Amino acid sequence: MGRRAAWHAALIAASVVLLGPVVLAVLASFKTPSSLFEANPLPVHPTLGNYTAAVARFPLGRLLVNTAVTSAGVMLAQLVVAVPAAYGVVRFSGRAGRLVLAAGSLSVVVPVQAYLVPQFLMVSELGWQNTFAGMIVPQLSGAGIALLLLHQHLRAIPPSLGEAAALDGASSLQTLWYVVLPLLRPTLVAVGILVFITTWNEYLWPLLSAPGLGTVQTGLALFGNTEGANPGPLLAAATLATLPVLAGYVVAARRVTNAFMHAGLH
Amino acid sequence: MRDRLYLVPFGAAMLIWVYGPLVATVVISFLTWDLSSGPQEFAGAANYRALLGDADFGTAAGQTVLYAAGLLVTSIVLPLYLAVALWRRPGRAAFVYRCLLFVPMVLAPVATAISWQFVLNPLVGILGFRNWLGDPSTALATIVVITSGKLIALNTLLLSAALTSVDGDTVEAARIDGASEGRITRRIVVPQVGRTLVLLGMLTVVYAGQWSFTNIAVLTQGGPSHSTDNVYYRLYTYGFQYFDLGGASAGSVLVVCALAIPLAVGAVVRRG
Repeated sequence: MGRRAAWHAALIAASVVLLGPVVLAVLASFKTPSSLFEANPLPVHPTLGNYTAAVARFPLGRLLVNTAVTSAGVMLAQLVVAVPAAYGVVRFSGRAGRLVLAAGSLSVVVPVQAYLVPQFLMVSELGWQNTFAGMIVPQLSGAGIALLLLHQHLRAIPPSLGEAAALDGASSLQTLWYVVLPLLRPTLVAVGILVFITTWNEYLWPLLSAPGLGTVQTGLALFGNTEGANPGPLLAAATLATLPVLAGYVVAARRVTNAFMHAGLH
Repeated sequence: MRDRLYLVPFGAAMLIWVYGPLVATVVISFLTWDLSSGPQEFAGAANYRALLGDADFGTAAGQTVLYAAGLLVTSIVLPLYLAVALWRRPGRAAFVYRCLLFVPMVLAPVATAISWQFVLNPLVGILGFRNWLGDPSTALATIVVITSGKLIALNTLLLSAALTSVDGDTVEAARIDGASEGRITRRIVVPQVGRTLVLLGMLTVVYAGQWSFTNIAVLTQGGPSHSTDNVYYRLYTYGFQYFDLGGASAGSVLVVCALAIPLAVGAVVRRG
């Protein structure tokens, strides 16, 4: 009994420390301005006043749409390049495949700051500043992690399945489409969600490439600079900005954590 | 031959958006290039000399090491403890905790930073009995703590994944032989995830600077008096506030060279 209680206590403590400030901020977003900094974390007279103020002064709807379009775009773009590559590496193991896999792995540990300036210059040269193309396409640089995760899972699919399909006269493309992709679907969903969340939370690249369009993250940071004495509406806006991803995670928590659990990044 | 076509889109994406720009960074680091006034000319090693003579860059470099060291402590030791705790008692509760501990990973970093700002608000915040972010002696440590949430989440999950491969029979045999749980953990479980720990160390060193970036940008802008600056934030300042692209690129080259050292050491340790 004692050990069991200690186990729960340790894990609950860790969860509280990690999530405490966020929970306090969410609770505070329902408080009235005068009670905002009271020691009692619970809103005694709950109000939606901060939310109406946030929606009135913060272009949340527009920013949510921008962020959703960008995140979906990056997710699709990364999967479109990473899925065939992972398939090619596994099915036709050759020097080219190994080179592509190595290039993808190495890109994961290169800090973005190392290629930020040229990416920025390329985007302005292409006239892509403040466009979705400018926000989405350069983020293909993050496709390495998608390739690694997909490759780990594809390796686990028995090659005999592909060989059987080939004997039946299927081309490699047909095998990919009709045999491999359906088997890979849970992984595709998990990797897709992961890329979506990562892009949703990206701050630096949208700030540089499309300050005029803006995303939830850059908008929040800007809103934070202009709000002074009463942080209530800011906390409400932060809560609203986090809600969609959090909801997505709650729905797909098992898949997202499993994608990592079985990724075998070790 | 045609089968290599599968590799082309990904390979092209990497060339165009990662490796091409990396080479361009090296080239630009030898140019004088002011974003606002244009024409670039060859500058030799002038950008590098300017950087190495810049006390602020030196401060930022030293503090980047402090960030990495701080994050290594919070996000290797604690996740190892949490992952072992979860591994020891699998089941529904462990699953719930694992999902809960992963939440910081999906929370918007700007929103998290704003939450901390609220809690740490000097005088009126719940932890505001001290001016954590306004005092140069505590500001960096505070940013480390705020940033570690994300790393703890990721590392706990990756360690949990590694622990699934620990051989249950060996553990059972040790238990029958009367080994204590603590001894089993130290002698059997932890050594099995050694490779993963090295990988996490490498990832932590790489991401320490990047993931602290948003917190620095939102909470302190490198201050007070440069005490929370690191090279990533400094390079951003050079490039996109002073518009000195040559200087920012030279700094990037130095950072990549410096990062290559711990990564190479890690790779050798993992292989050996």
